[in-house]
Order: sequence, then structure tokens, then C-alpha cells
Amino acid sequence: MSIRRYLLLGAIGLFAICTTPHRSIAQTAGSNAVVIATTQVPRHFNGAVQSGLATAMPSSQIFASPLRYDDKWNPQPYLAQSWDVAPNGLSVTLHLVKNAVFHDGQPVTSEDVAFSIMAIKANHPFQTMLAAVENVDTPDPSTAVIRLSHPSPSLLLAMSPALMPILPKHVYGDGQDLKAHPANLKPIGSGPFKLTEYKQGEYYTLEKFDKFFMAGRPKLDKIVVRIVSDPNAALVSMERGDANILPFVAGVRDIDRLQKAANVFVTDKGFAGVGPLNWLAFNTRKKPLDDVRVRQAIAYAANREFIVGKLMSGKAAPATGPIAPGSPLEEKAVETYKADYAKAAELLDATGHPKSADGSRFSLTIDYIPGADEQQRNIAEYLRSQLKRVGINLEVRAAPDFPTWAQRVSNYDFDLTMDTVFNWGDPVIGVNRTYLSSNIRKGIIWSNTQQYSNPKVDELLQAAAVETSPEKRKELYSEFQKIVVKDVPIYFINATPYYNAFSKGLGGLPTSIWGMMSPLDEVHWEIPPKT
Amino acid sequence: MTTIETSTPLAVESSSPPVRPSASPGRVAFRQFLRSPSGVCGACLLILIVLGTAIGPVVYPVDPLDLVGGPFTAPSADAWLGTDYLGRDVLAGLIYGGRASLAVGAVAALITIAIGLTVGALSGFFGGAIDAALVKITEFFQILPPLLFAMVLVTLFGQKLTTITLAIGAVSWTSAARLTRAEFMRLRNLDFVKASRAAGAGDAYLILRVLLPNALPPVIVSATLAIGVAILFEGGLSFLGLGDPNTMSWGLMLGQNRNYVLDAWWAVIFPGAAIFLAVLSISLVGDGVNDAINPRLRRRM
Repeated sequence: MSIRRYLLLGAIGLFAICTTPHRSIAQTAGSNAVVIATTQVPRHFNGAVQSGLATAMPSSQIFASPLRYDDKWNPQPYLAQSWDVAPNGLSVTLHLVKNAVFHDGQPVTSEDVAFSIMAIKANHPFQTMLAAVENVDTPDPSTAVIRLSHPSPSLLLAMSPALMPILPKHVYGDGQDLKAHPANLKPIGSGPFKLTEYKQGEYYTLEKFDKFFMAGRPKLDKIVVRIVSDPNAALVSMERGDANILPFVAGVRDIDRLQKAANVFVTDKGFAGVGPLNWLAFNTRKKPLDDVRVRQAIAYAANREFIVGKLMSGKAAPATGPIAPGSPLEEKAVETYKADYAKAAELLDATGHPKSADGSRFSLTIDYIPGADEQQRNIAEYLRSQLKRVGINLEVRAAPDFPTWAQRVSNYDFDLTMDTVFNWGDPVIGVNRTYLSSNIRKGIIWSNTQQYSNPKVDELLQAAAVETSPEKRKELYSEFQKIVVKDVPIYFINATPYYNAFSKGLGGLPTSIWGMMSPLDEVHWEIPPKT
Repeated sequence: MTTIETSTPLAVESSSPPVRPSASPGRVAFRQFLRSPSGVCGACLLILIVLGTAIGPVVYPVDPLDLVGGPFTAPSADAWLGTDYLGRDVLAGLIYGGRASLAVGAVAALITIAIGLTVGALSGFFGGAIDAALVKITEFFQILPPLLFAMVLVTLFGQKLTTITLAIGAVSWTSAARLTRAEFMRLRNLDFVKASRAAGAGDAYLILRVLLPNALPPVIVSATLAIGVAILFEGGLSFLGLGDPNTMSWGLMLGQNRNYVLDAWWAVIFPGAAIFLAVLSISLVGDGVNDAINPRLRRRM
């Protein structure tokens, strides 16, 4: 190949980075409609067997659930117009609305609720979520009684749209494997919108369900979700008004840019339920990291304030413990490891790792999830220069793709790694998995890959999972957080700065704890867009 | 350069205008090189760049991986060329990154030429079944898209500077091999080769001492250009996120900073310009060398 051709390629490359791609997302949706642009590609639409933002957003539109939540963690009636928790905590009775029907016209009954709960227990990746459920009784078509083996205060949160879609038994109960059911791609639910079209990897269309059981809703006629693989293109389409909603924006620069756009409203509300945490994890069984003082020293050298304030321009909330900021269970009064290099050096000296002549003590590696530069790679690189200050040589190990990283971390082939893990509302659903010693499961990513084991922590988490008094439960979790922060199996850095962007003129925005993973039945145009 | 002395048959063939008999072919070529303005410009530029990366760390002792200030500091008295998205010094990055980039270029070019010469020489000298087999292998490597193939290699064997260098060498030797093969095939039936063989020279002697020196001139030109190609290649790999995160290089700077080009143009423009100038100078030098040592061209002048 000639040198000139390479020069030409180089010039084209330079040109490409200096110009921003413009791909228009045509507004073909009609007047009382919104276009959502997203980079998330759903594998299918059935949130009963699939976790993650990509499926939860459409699944929450298509399927209704027993309860929904406001922006202050209060359960609201949805398919269940009321509910009672037995005084001993061993059963929950749901009184269903009587006028709810599925998109195919069949009524929603307690049979469907019972079927769905057992299907989710059997198939959903969050195995701890419904672990307490033994069975569901259906005394009459509008009453479902969930029987529990032990009290389960997290159950009410697990009845959210994102986690407990109610499936029609007459469609999904035909004995086929639910994870590969054909109806996962042609879903039938009882939610405010029905799926009318899906072009794999390009777009899907949700249309108003006329017989939705809540009067006067949904307010929109149509939602078109455009899947845009290039985040920059999604951003531009939002700025141009081709798209009206851009969910799950995580880039600090992108957020900045959208905040400056005249026609766009940006909010970080709507992610309290997800509770996304960005952290530095330690392999606590590998020398020298098996010594808690070494981990504490690294925590003192990391300087969270700089990461959040400078590297993330203050767009992210600092996180100091295992329960995400915004959760009512978060304990703020924990050790914060404010940057203190002298203390870090002292701790390292005490562990028998004196500085050698060239100023170094020992070497470690750090991994990071590929593809998430701002939240992962940049911090790994930053930590390399930070730890050098206290005599630790940090080598950044790049992984070419996600499976490679997951393989290394889940098989304990790492020293330090950056990681992002979601709380999913209640500690039982998304927090326990990271700290329970019973969840040290080799080969499984986002289990206790730190191999952290503290009997007291196990005890506290098990007690809190069945504690029905909210005050006592909060106390147990508070103690748990203090211990974990002191043991440093993980150095907590920040809540991942997720934002949603909306066109100005839209009302009824989804700012509840589940945000875009809750029904968009109240969204409407206050000032219709100019076309 | 003394090895070229064996090319007397050719030198005699092309000795008009007459050259003083005392002048060695190396000196002739050098004098010829000085006559090419673009070659001289390129050489001067290249010397400047190499000197900058060689003595730069002495004059400007800043670790390119250390944070020297806040992120996105514009060029100023504190950081002459500004800082990048973490607060690392761009000038220090250019100096140390230049070492890595030039080293990758040079070593990858050496690998390219080493493999290319070996395969091409065996293929062109022996012909027949050996030639057919080696040509098939060469063609196999030639039809693989080089950048994609290099990406696969780096992905498989890890994002280290050594792996990247080897990968670049492994994907770009085919043109050198074809060039060498063609030269060998052309030369092997010429009279001076037949004479050597008649005088009892063995295969190894013929390849190394008789044919190789005469086949070298075009390969040297191709080697020079291969350095530039390898530097661009490293830039391309880093640009696609396959650089070595522990070693600063121009390509890595370009690749990592491109997301922030609207916030900090200096962190993209300067390494980009460095790559451009380095590759341009190498290309000019290559052209100059070509003019200087290509006998057929010299006859025209």
C-alpha cells in the first residue's frame, strides 16, 4: 500500500474527528407523539426474564405491574388498587383493579399475577429479589395472596414496573421456555402502550392502548423509539429537535452540551431507584491487598474530591458507601477517606512495605470496563499517577471487550478493577450480592468478585433482609455500611451521573425513582413542537 | 554501504556522466541525495524531531503520565502546550510519545524488512515449488485487510507496545517480499551471477553476497517508507482504542483526546501535527533516497 494512501487516510481521520456526524432522525411520528432516541438495543421486551435499562424502558410501557412509585420512594396503586401486608410479614394480599385488560382484550386476573410472580422468581437474573416467595394463592379473580417463607420488606419495591411486569398467562403460560418465548418480541401486556412495530436494531413503535385501565391515560398517542448506535448522533438529534427524549445520558461533556441547548431540559432525577455506583474494587484475597491497611492506604491516596470535582466537572454525586446516594437507607456518617498522602504512607510503612531507593513499594494492576472512558478508563489512568505518589506502581490493563474484562474479574485474575454496579432500589436486590460471603461464586460477574468475607456483615445483611420494622432495618443497614467502608473491599467513588434530556414543552415528565423505567402515561405536550 | 561495491556491473553500466573512480557508491549516493531539495528538507525535519525526542526529557523533565495541573488547561506559561483530559502535560506527552512512536516505527519497519527480505529472497532465488508456496503465503497475508488483521492480533495478544509493534510488522511485510522477489528473479539470470556460480559459489553465498546487495536499493527505499507507514499504523490502532495505556505515544494522545476535541483542541492538534510532520519528513527522505540510489533514475539525470 502506498504511503500516499496512508496520508490520505490520516487526513480523512483528522477531518472526521474535527466534524461532528449529522444523522437526522426524521420526525414521522405525528403531532401528539414523542420520539425517543436511545443507544440501548433491547434483546426483547419482556422485563420478567431480562434485567437492564434497554428492556426495562419498553417493558414498563407495555406491561403494567402491581405497584408503581413516586419520587419519594412511596408505593402507589397500579394494577393493585390496595394491598395489605400481614402483621407477621409472611403474606402480602393484593386487591386488583377490576377493569384492567390485556392488549388482546382478555381481563387481567389474579391468575396472571400468580403466574407472573412465579415466572419471575424462576427466570429473572435477580435471584434474591423474590427468594422469599413460596407461592401465590388466588382466592378470587381480583385477589392475589403472596405467601412468604420469611418476611421480605423488599418485596413491595420488587413490584415496580421495571421488575414485575404482569404477563398474560394465556400467552406466556404455554409451556415454552420464557427466556426464549416468541412473545418476548411480540409482547402482550396491560400497560398504557402496546408494541406495534419493531425493526430489529433500528426502531420500535409504541401506540396508545385505548382500553388502558387508568382513565384519561396515556396522554400521548404514540411513542417512537429510535435506536441510534452513535451517541453523538443521538445528541445532535436531540439538539435539533428530531428527538424529544434522550434517556440515560452519562457523558459529562454530553450533559454539558445538552444543558446549553436552548430547547432541551436536562435532569438527573429518575435514577434513585437504579442507584448506579461507580467504584474501585479490590481483590481482597491477593497479596498485598489482603491486608486491610493496604486497601485503606489506597483509599486515602485516591482523592474522591478531585475525581468528582475535576474529572467529572461536578456532574456526578460523590458516593461514600455501598448504598447509593438518594436511597433513604444511605448512611452518610461513614469514613470518607479524604485525601491524606502522609496517612497512606504511614499505613503502607506499617504493613512492611517500605519505600525502596527509587521511591516505589510494590506494583499492582488495574482493570476497567472497556467502552466507558469517562467513568472507567480515565479514573484508572488517573489512579496510576495518584498511587505513584505513595509508592505504588499501577499498571493499567486494557481489555479489548467486555467479556474479556468480565472473565478476568469473575475468575479473580485481577488486583484492582474499576466497576459499575446498580443498587436496583432495595439492598436485597442489588447490594447484598456484592458483599455476602455466600455469593463468592467464581465465574459469575457482579457476584462478590472481591471475595470479601466478614461474618458480621453476613449476619447484618441476613437480619436486615427479614426485618419488618423500617427503623430497625435502617439501623442494621447503617451498621453494615460503616463496616464495609472500614474494611474497604471497595473504594466508593461516585454515583454514575445519569441524566435524562427532554424537549422543552413536554409535561408530566417521569421523575419518579424509576424515571424512564416507569410508565410514561402522564407525558404530554404542554406546548406542542413547531413542525 | 561497502557491500554495494559488489554492484560494479551495474555501476559501470550507469557510469555516464563519468564519476571519479575513487568515489565509493555510498558517497555517490549521498552526494546525489544532497541534490534533492525535498530529501534534504525531510532529513533536516526528521533530525529535528529525533533530536527533540532524544534530548527533550533532559531539557523538559516532566513525566508524561503525571498530573501537572487541572484537566483541560489551555496552553500557558505553566504548561506550554496545555494539559489533557486528566491534567497531563501535552508537551511532555509529545516528547516521550515521540520516542515510543518513532521506536515503534523503526522496529516495525525492521521486522517488515527482515521478513520481507527473507521470504522474497528465498522465493526469488529458488523459484519452482518453494516460490509457489511462498507466493501463496504472501498472497494470503496480502488479502487480509492489514488494519483489521493487526487489530485482531493486538486484541488476542494484549495491548502492549511490543505486541503492537510485532503486529504492525506481521501485517505489512508482503510488499517488501514481492519487491525482493522481483529483484532476485531479475538478477539471478544476469551474467555476473552466472559467473559467480560458475566460479563455484554456493546458494548461501550467492544469495547473501551476490544477489542481496544488488537487490537492496529499492528495498531500502521501501524500508524508509515503511517507518512512516508503521507510525501511522500505531496511530490508527491507538485511535481505535487499541493503544498501550501505559506508554504515552502520539497515537494514544490523539485517540484518547479526540472525545474532548471541542474542549481542548490543543491535546489533539499537537500530537496530530507531530504525526503528520514525522510521516511527511520520512516520506520526503524516502523520495530523496530513491532518487539517490536508484541507478536507472540516476542515468536519466
